[in-house]
Amino acid sequence: MKEQDKIEILRDILFADDHDFEEKISKRVGFLEETIQEREKLSQKVDPIIAYQLDEFTKSIPETLGPVITETLKNQIKINKEAVVDALYPVLGKLVKKYVAQEMKLLSEKMNSQLSFLSFWKRKFKSSVTGQNENELMFGDLASAKVEQVLLIEKDSGILKASYSKTDAMDEEMVSGMLTAIKSFVEDAFNQRNQDLELIEYELYQIHIQSFATHYIAVVISGNFALRAKNELQDIIFDFYNSFMAMNVDLIFETSNSKKSIVPVPKSRIEKELAKYFGNANF
Amino acid sequence: MQISKKIVVLGHFGVGKTSLIRRFVTDTFSDNYKVTIGVHITKKVVEFSSGNNVSLILWDLEGTDDIESIRNAYLLGSHGVVFVFDITRPSTFQHLNEDIKIVSGKIPNVPLLIVGNKTDLVDPVELKSTLAENNISVDYLTSAKTGDAVNDLFSKLAHQLLNDA
Repeated sequence: MKEQDKIEILRDILFADDHDFEEKISKRVGFLEETIQEREKLSQKVDPIIAYQLDEFTKSIPETLGPVITETLKNQIKINKEAVVDALYPVLGKLVKKYVAQEMKLLSEKMNSQLSFLSFWKRKFKSSVTGQNENELMFGDLASAKVEQVLLIEKDSGILKASYSKTDAMDEEMVSGMLTAIKSFVEDAFNQRNQDLELIEYELYQIHIQSFATHYIAVVISGNFALRAKNELQDIIFDFYNSFMAMNVDLIFETSNSKKSIVPVPKSRIEKELAKYFGNANF
Repeated sequence: MQISKKIVVLGHFGVGKTSLIRRFVTDTFSDNYKVTIGVHITKKVVEFSSGNNVSLILWDLEGTDDIESIRNAYLLGSHGVVFVFDITRPSTFQHLNEDIKIVSGKIPNVPLLIVGNKTDLVDPVELKSTLAENNISVDYLTSAKTGDAVNDLFSKLAHQLLNDA
C-alpha cells in the first residue's frame, strides 16, 4: 500500500461524519435556493409573515403616524389658512345659518299669525286711499324675488372670475371693479375689518353680496327680497361655492399627479356651474 | 385667450392720472380739471397679434400728497402700478424715490412704471436736466394732451403682464 493510499483511508475514517454533515447542508441550501427562486413556494412561506406585519402596522398607525399626520395637517392649515377657510365656510356657514333660519322661521310664523289681521286692514286702508285694487296690493306683497345677474369676483383685485346674466348687462368687468371699490371703501371707512358689506339697494333691484376668504359673490335680485328669499339664496350660493372649491381642489390634484403647472379652472366651466345653480332660482 | 389684470394708477393731485387714462381708453382730452373722488374704474382691452388679449381694469385713484395715506384696500390684488408725476411741478416729484419705495412696499413683486406727464408744457432739454438734478429715472415721459407715448406705456405694461401670466 502506498503512502498516499494510506492517507486517503485515514482521511475517510477521520472525516466520515463531516462528509455526511456537508451533504445534509448542501441539500438544505439547494432546497432554500429552490424556494427563493420559485415565487409560489416563497410566497407560501413569506405571505403569512407579511400579512402579520401589515396587520401590526395598520394597528399601530394611530399611535405611530397619528401625531405626524396631525402635525402636518396643522402646518398645512397654518400655511393655507385662506384655502381652508374657503373650503369650510360654505359647510359651517350653512349649518349655523340653517339653525338660525329655523328659529327665525318659527318666530316669523308666530308673528304672521298675529299680524295677518293687521295687514288685512292695512291693505284695505291703502286701497281706499290710493284707489289701487286690493288684489294688486296683495300680489305686490307676494311678488317673488328673481335672480337677474350673478358675479363671481376675486376679493382683493376685483377681477371678474365668471358671471351669469339673464339679460344684457353693462360691462361686467367694470361693474365688478366698481363693486369691489365700493365694498372696500365701506368696509375700510367703518374700520370694521372683519365685517363685510352684504347688501346694496336701489329702487327695483338689490345686490346681495356674499363674501368668502378669497372671492365674493354678488347677486343682483329683482322683486321682493325678504328674509326667506335671502335664506334660500344663501343656500344656493353656499352650494355653488362648495362646488367651485371642489373644482379647484380637483384641479390641484389633477395637476399635482401629472406634474403639470396649475392653470385656473376655465371660465366657461365656472359659468356653466353658475347657470346650473342660479338659472332656475326662484324665491 | 383673454386675461384680466388690475392696474392702479396713482400719484399726487392734478398730475394727470385721469387724463392719461381717458386718452388711452377713449382717445380724448379735456382741459377741464375735475378732481377724482375715491376711485374711478375703466377698462380697455389691449389686443396682441398672437390672439392673446389683456383686459386692463384701470383703477384711477384720487390724488394725494401723502402716498402713505392711500387706502390699502384699493391696492390689494393689483397686478401692475403706474405712478404718475407732473414734470412741471417739482412738488409732485421731489420725494419720488421715497414715494416709489412706499408703493413697492405696499404692492410688492408687480411691474411698476414711473411716468412723467405733461411733456407738452416743457422744453425737452430743460426736462432732461431737471430729471437729472432730482436723481429721477423715468420709464415713460407722456403727454395726455397730445397723446405722446400714452399708448406705448399701457401696451408695454399689458405685454409684460401677458408674458408673466
